[in-house]
Amino acid sequence: MLTFILLALAIGLFMAWNIGANDVANAMGTSVGSGALTLKQAVLVAAVFEFGGAVLVGAHVTSTIKGGILAPELFSKTPEIFMLGMAAALLGAAIWLLVATVFGLPVSTTHSIVGAVVGFGVITVGWGNVNWETMGSIVLSWVVSPLCGGLLAFLTFTFISRKIILADSPYDATVRWAPYLVALVGFTLSLSILYKGLKNLNLDLPFMTAGPACLAIGAILGLSMRAWLKRRHRPTGFSVVAVERLFAGLQVITACYVAFAHGANDVANAIGPLAGILQVYQDGTLAAKAPVPIWILALGGVGIVVGLATYGYKVIMTIGHQITSMTPTRGFSAEFGAATTVLAASRLGLPISTTHTLVGAVIGVGFARGLAALNLRVIRNIVTSWIITIPAAGLISVIAFYALRHLFG
Amino acid sequence: MKTVHAIAELFGRSPFGPLVHHTQKVHECVREVKPLVEAFLRGEYDEVERLYDRISDLEHEADTIKRDIRTHLPKSLYLPVNRADMLKYLKEQDAIADTAEDIAVLLTIRRTQIPVALHDEILLLTDKVIETSDLLVKAASELERLQASVFGGKGAQQVSDQIAQVNQGEYEADKVQTQLSRHLYEVEDDLDPISAYFVMKLFRLLGEIANHAENTGDSLDMMLSNQ
Repeated sequence: MLTFILLALAIGLFMAWNIGANDVANAMGTSVGSGALTLKQAVLVAAVFEFGGAVLVGAHVTSTIKGGILAPELFSKTPEIFMLGMAAALLGAAIWLLVATVFGLPVSTTHSIVGAVVGFGVITVGWGNVNWETMGSIVLSWVVSPLCGGLLAFLTFTFISRKIILADSPYDATVRWAPYLVALVGFTLSLSILYKGLKNLNLDLPFMTAGPACLAIGAILGLSMRAWLKRRHRPTGFSVVAVERLFAGLQVITACYVAFAHGANDVANAIGPLAGILQVYQDGTLAAKAPVPIWILALGGVGIVVGLATYGYKVIMTIGHQITSMTPTRGFSAEFGAATTVLAASRLGLPISTTHTLVGAVIGVGFARGLAALNLRVIRNIVTSWIITIPAAGLISVIAFYALRHLFG
Repeated sequence: MKTVHAIAELFGRSPFGPLVHHTQKVHECVREVKPLVEAFLRGEYDEVERLYDRISDLEHEADTIKRDIRTHLPKSLYLPVNRADMLKYLKEQDAIADTAEDIAVLLTIRRTQIPVALHDEILLLTDKVIETSDLLVKAASELERLQASVFGGKGAQQVSDQIAQVNQGEYEADKVQTQLSRHLYEVEDDLDPISAYFVMKLFRLLGEIANHAENTGDSLDMMLSNQ
């Protein structure tokens, strides 16, 4: 049994490695592409904020995924099958992510896990016991999450372009409007953490307390931003270059925001099955909601950093070098749109993908005339890879399940 | 294995950098017209041949850039400007280089003696025409930067003003051309009909460079305002 637990931990680590190698890299590519962050800084931001997001907000999503797709009661008499299945699901999802990484496909970690869990569910408890309603909401999210991310990014860039870039003095307009943008990021970010968020730290604030507190945090951030901007030397002449330089600073904030949102949404999802396995191992029982011990999230964090350091940086570089028209104003808009959508969805417990949302956000910036050219033909391939993710991860998970059962069953 | 990441692939190749490159190449071509005409008037036909080769090479390079831009502009590429306007702009800009080459060809096929009385004015027309192209280059070279500022703001206003100057330049070149044609008939006794035809054709081609520069400026303006 101990061998199996160790193997499960290793698979969890492998999964986390894959998240760092592909998923996190997708999220950080836009920051490196615009030059807001260097490669090293991106890895550092990812490591710190992914971990923060996973630990502070992440636990919310975990139970929804695991419990939503398959009811744990189905396995109350066969907890060992459940353990094998969860390990197989993790392995299946991780292998599919590895394939996607090699082919440069921006697929979803969350959906890989869901597909893998469904695959194992179908062969153990049958088609009828899979929660197809949740599956429906996942299919819906292929459309809804890029649309939401795209719309928010479109509106953000349109705002920046109308109020700042096209202003008589873009620099002065930045000094005027940037504090509001920072305040907005501060507000949504702190709200996602504080409002019923900090269960892990026993700091469970109701809306009436969290709302004003977050408004205050946003205001403080906005005011300090304004003070900082006012103290800077005003560059002579009008120039979009000076504005982009200021926005490079702002994009550091949205880069952290994206990493945080990704950590909250995807890391816990991915590492969730491991929590289920450990719970059965320790208590011998199954519950709809397995508590996610902090050390498992920390294990996930370590795996992600290793994934970033060994392969993810390559993906970030590939993306970064090829997206030269992603300047800081564009990057800020895309990341703000994506991260806000993802955080809102993970607070609502919806299984959406950070990657899908980010792809939508980039397209949104393009439609707001922010990009020099947008290759719409690629969208078809990307969406195909999203759809294939569910059956592919499911199939690999089934194979992994039979292999694991042969070894441990 | 070299992977092109799909997120990176979403970003299509920007046509604006190559467009500015095309502008510069076309202008390089136009700039050679001055020494070409000077050499011809001085009767240095070897130099004329040499400059013809150079202009022809530059025109070919501009053509290559043009074709490259066109082939990388599939319908699936979403652009922040109207595609038809962009293609029209490219076509007009390319016509400037074509005309410069036509002039070079003309000057190599017949060693026409042009009356000295016309020399100064021909050089003046050449200067006016190149000046017009110069003004256009100033406006068109901003294209890449304009993309960064969403084709608006003060940068776009500046380009619009520069395009107005191109139109003014064409108008002035036109006036010089009319005057020159008048003077041609004043010295018609010194010219045989074929030479007169040749000189008229040279005037017309020089004027055409300015015309194409004006049209290029107009389609650039259209491209920027037609959003």
